[in-house]
Amino acid sequence: MTVRKIEVRERVMARNDELAAQVRARLAAHGITAINLMSSPGAGKTTLLERTLAVLGEPLDIAVVAGDCQTQNDADRLAAHTGRLVQAIVTGGACHLDALQVSDALDHIDLERTRLLIIENVGNLVCPASWDLGERSRVVLFTVTEGDDKPLKYPKMFEKADWVVLTKTDLLPYVPFDVDRAVRHCLQVNPALRFIHVSAITGDGMGEWFDFLRRSVGPTASV
Amino acid sequence: MHELSLAMEIGRLAEERLGASVPRCVAVGVDVGTASGVEPSALSFCLEAVLSHPPWTGAQPVLAHPVGDHLLLTWLEVEDDDRPED
Repeated sequence: MTVRKIEVRERVMARNDELAAQVRARLAAHGITAINLMSSPGAGKTTLLERTLAVLGEPLDIAVVAGDCQTQNDADRLAAHTGRLVQAIVTGGACHLDALQVSDALDHIDLERTRLLIIENVGNLVCPASWDLGERSRVVLFTVTEGDDKPLKYPKMFEKADWVVLTKTDLLPYVPFDVDRAVRHCLQVNPALRFIHVSAITGDGMGEWFDFLRRSVGPTASV
Repeated sequence: MHELSLAMEIGRLAEERLGASVPRCVAVGVDVGTASGVEPSALSFCLEAVLSHPPWTGAQPVLAHPVGDHLLLTWLEVEDDDRPED
């Protein structure tokens, strides 16, 4: 017996990236903008989407793919706010969505009647950052109940993001969260990041979020 | 679970590379970039689990940690049967 070394040097994420490119092309062919919404658990993704669907679900022809480790509770919550399809992906314990799951979910969505696809990723600030889903832009929710140093602790998530939505701002009087320092930490990791501050409960800042979504759809979309 | 998904994909890539006539693979080399978002010890643990099942026969994962955000299957070490073919 002799031992032989075979050089490979193949990217482990290559297959996912190929599938993500196919998803991106499929969405582009239908003129659909996809946004990948990511955050830690409990940052307010579902509440933000509930408010969003109630106001913009029909005008922007929004479809939602909602990922969860177990249960489809989030998808059920969202479905109560829209007549449009909310497609659940239960990952069976996996900590992120991948492009194959999104590709499969698209088979259940009426793409002809969709202009904006929001992908609610699994709540996790680590793993989802590594998986391209075919989205046009990535939005990270960063809530004021977290430490303002989260961008430094989870840099990849913020490096790969286009926008940061600072959520639950109505709680700022009650928590030791320094907004200026949080923004500084975000920009330290990714100087190109843009910010929206919202409270889905009081409605503060929601207009800016809605404007961002309106700008995101259509042939002249800028996200 | 992130690392288990990756370990399974590494196993799939290695199997694809070795083809149907899989020789005995004794080691699997993986580059885990320092900024890859992958925990090397967790990936090693998951790879050991994946490589303990057929068609693998206990190949050992060998992880390197270069600077960067890449994750690569870098090499495979296989045992060749030196007996001449009939």
